[in-house]
Amino acid sequence: MNAHYLARKLAQAFVTIVAILVLNFLMFRMMPGSPDRVLKNPNLTPEMIAATRARWGLDKPLIPDQLIAYVKATVSGDLGYSIFYRGQPVTDVLGATVGPTILLVGLGEVFAIIGGLAIGAYAGWRRGGKTDSIGTGASLILYSMPYFVIGMPLVVIFAAGLGWFPTSGMTTPGMSDQPLLNQAWDLGRHLVLPLLAVTLGLLGGYSILMRSSIIDTRNEDYITTARAKGLKDSWVLRHHAFPNAMLPMVTLIAINLGYVVAGAITAEIVFNWPGLGTLTIHALSARDYPVLQGIFLLVAVSVVIANLIADIVYGFLDPRVRA
Amino acid sequence: MRLSMGVKGVRPVAALLLAASLLLPAAGPVAAAGPVVLTVGTTQDLDSTNPFNTYLVSGYEVFQLTYDLLTNFSLDTSPGPGFADTWVRSPDKVTYHIRDGMKWSDGKPATSKDVCYSWGLAMAAIADGANIGAGYLDPNVKDAGVTKIECPDASTFVAYTTDQSDRIFQVYVPILPEHVYGKVDYKKMADEKFNAPLVGTGPYTLAEWKTGQFARFVRNPNYWGQQGFEDQVVIRFFPDNADAMFQALKNGELDYAHGVNPDQFKQLQADPLYKTDAGKANGWTQLAFNTYGTGTGKTIPNGGPSTKALLDPAFRDALGYAVDKPTLVARVLGGFGDPGTTIVPPVLSDWHVDPTTPRTFDIELAKSKLDAAGYKLDASGSRLDKEGKPIKLRLYAPDSEAAYAKSAEFVKDWYGQLGIVVSTQILTSAALGELVLPPPDGTAKYDIELWGWAGNPDPNALLQIFRCDAIGGTSDSQYCNPDYDKLYDQQLKESGAQRKATLAQMQNLIYDQAPYDVLYYDANLDVHRTDRFAGWQNMPATGTPMFTYGDLVYTLLTDATIAPSPSPVPSEASATPAASASASASASAAVSSTAPATPAPSAATGTTSGGGSSNLLLGGLVLVLVVVVVGGLVVSRRRRTTAAGEDE
Repeated sequence: MNAHYLARKLAQAFVTIVAILVLNFLMFRMMPGSPDRVLKNPNLTPEMIAATRARWGLDKPLIPDQLIAYVKATVSGDLGYSIFYRGQPVTDVLGATVGPTILLVGLGEVFAIIGGLAIGAYAGWRRGGKTDSIGTGASLILYSMPYFVIGMPLVVIFAAGLGWFPTSGMTTPGMSDQPLLNQAWDLGRHLVLPLLAVTLGLLGGYSILMRSSIIDTRNEDYITTARAKGLKDSWVLRHHAFPNAMLPMVTLIAINLGYVVAGAITAEIVFNWPGLGTLTIHALSARDYPVLQGIFLLVAVSVVIANLIADIVYGFLDPRVRA
Repeated sequence: MRLSMGVKGVRPVAALLLAASLLLPAAGPVAAAGPVVLTVGTTQDLDSTNPFNTYLVSGYEVFQLTYDLLTNFSLDTSPGPGFADTWVRSPDKVTYHIRDGMKWSDGKPATSKDVCYSWGLAMAAIADGANIGAGYLDPNVKDAGVTKIECPDASTFVAYTTDQSDRIFQVYVPILPEHVYGKVDYKKMADEKFNAPLVGTGPYTLAEWKTGQFARFVRNPNYWGQQGFEDQVVIRFFPDNADAMFQALKNGELDYAHGVNPDQFKQLQADPLYKTDAGKANGWTQLAFNTYGTGTGKTIPNGGPSTKALLDPAFRDALGYAVDKPTLVARVLGGFGDPGTTIVPPVLSDWHVDPTTPRTFDIELAKSKLDAAGYKLDASGSRLDKEGKPIKLRLYAPDSEAAYAKSAEFVKDWYGQLGIVVSTQILTSAALGELVLPPPDGTAKYDIELWGWAGNPDPNALLQIFRCDAIGGTSDSQYCNPDYDKLYDQQLKESGAQRKATLAQMQNLIYDQAPYDVLYYDANLDVHRTDRFAGWQNMPATGTPMFTYGDLVYTLLTDATIAPSPSPVPSEASATPAASASASASASAAVSSTAPATPAPSAATGTTSGGGSSNLLLGGLVLVLVVVVVGGLVVSRRRRTTAAGEDE
């Protein structure tokens, strides 16, 4: 790892983020419609509409005035005010939803990575065996199922049917008065079903890629050598094959982690989870430009950062890319 | 290159745990065991807790729980005690008496000073020709003809008016605590946060708002009226997600659900655990014809209606005979709603009139009326306008409710039978709102807009849509008729029977001229459980218990788990219980008698009670089955591959 490599990657990331910023601004302005017409109000006077437009900065020319104002504000951490949630800064609106999403999708990623890698590794190692057949079959099916297809039966069976878990939401109202332990328990109960849906939805991708990666590794000479030395099969898998098969996984994991903040939109909708995915849908239907821009910026930047991290980690892992 | 997965995995987990722990709110004081909580669900999100900033029904529900209006609404929606306990109407003013000894929820005295501050905000905005925030509340004061307000002493508030109308008792301006907001003038009011906890004089004050999740209210210990049975009220938001709300209701998480869909409603009708209310909505769904140019002769280059026929009342009148409204109610609304006629919904029974010359569904009559008006069929069966061009109408509807798209398909079919081709397109509400705008904001390039409106307790909000000066604002028919405007201005000064006569003229004028074809009056489909709370009342009798005109019903609930004892603590408001008991009796009677559509569907669904959830269960099972079968196939395929001994 040398400084030059690091500097180049950082510069690339910076340029990408600037491009995103400008694109983010232009894209939303090119969409048809104007946000101040979202809701018709029989009582609003034309003067008042003009005043509101001025308040929202819609009266000035798009370029350069609006663009400069946008870049300036964004850099200083001001993403403007939400149009739907009147009077609330976008940063507050996003802040309230980022946490739930990271909790749900982040934990889902962690479980899916652990489960997916384990299933994929064993399936690939014992290729053609029972673990492979069942594991790969299930992975393929789960991989092809959208979150809501997984989520709906979960709600119907375990929440509405058996009543084991709440059907939706993240907390029981009024829990903020309760001891921390009760709050955590309450959150846990709400989390189980959506987390299960997200984990199952993500599991397949990891397991399938891990399986093929292990199969490739399994044919390497050093594996044959290790086995020839008389090492135990499970030892060879864990200490010789698995670490080497991880290389392609790093990329997938890094990229997926970048998308954690984007949320799992359909999973969040099914469980009415108050995360970024749900917010995205509502911001879209309400034409809440500032919030949408904030979401896009957040997602784009986190993907860029995740890629940057992947590049750097790769640099550590594989000397060839450092050149 | 020994990469220990253990270490690598730990970091993200630790980071996530940290994130999770940050999410948990700080531990508060341990609450006493089991407060009684009433949980209400709605399919709307809450946009703002600032009363002047909210656009949504959910926002009104929230601020009306916390704050009183100067006069609230009784069960029959007539003016009832609010911040003022009594009032006297004289020719040029109304003198209100502010309740003696009333306190805000924080213990500070509540006096006329608070009223003068709150109404003063509206008066200042009106004087400047401006609005406050979203601009929905302050025009109420203007509409009531208030010219001056005075607070001669702590218990007296006087409002001078230009006329004798009742609108002054329907002013949705919340009385805010002057000692909290006093320094905020009307211009800054839109920026005011109204962060919980709020200080109010209502029965329950907002204690907590979690965006997109819920709003929680706690009992106001200083409430002037009868204390409600429940200690807390929670309104849970299921934005555009009736399915999630329905599942929560069935799982016992909700006591009340506002805005279920017709299928869910029918399913619960047969279940004795639930009481369903198909409340008549104060609004309608309409076909708005683009009549741009009526009276003015103006045209829009590259825009406006596609044919001059739309400007002809005879043409629009003929179309009115081609729409079978009872069928729409039955097939589109599942029987919940009423066929539409005039522009004042029947729920405003003081003002609604039926048309003097009603149109009924008769395709042949519609055809002959079109022929008579000069719109003939050509050889290929197309209806021609007076310029000899086949009439092709562009109909647009918003995507916000499934009923719009369904209705559009019916209309397309019926008009098609007249030889008029209708092309339908569904747009987002925002896009449709743009599309119907005339110059200078747009080009009004549409022929028919299928959409709806919801009104206030006073019909003016709906009536003003047809004024000439509403074009470019709320008008979606671009209709302009000076006669109508004159009548509108006249009724502003009238009250009682005199006003009703004028409103009758206006309703008939719009019905006969037909810039609108009101398809149906919608229904609000609400459901509540009967096992936890009793004492539910509809407001008004044809409406629903909640999400109507204020917070009264929230204070009338009783414990359903103990034997009913209809003797609440006698207090000022308990003048109502006796009256309300009879009101409830008449309410239930009225609902069953005024909803003739209900018996048939409920009988039909009687055999399929619980059909929805069993269908879903069935779906779940089918899904599991598919997984097993496909999994089995994959397994067998794998086996064969292994048997063949191939190696990739």
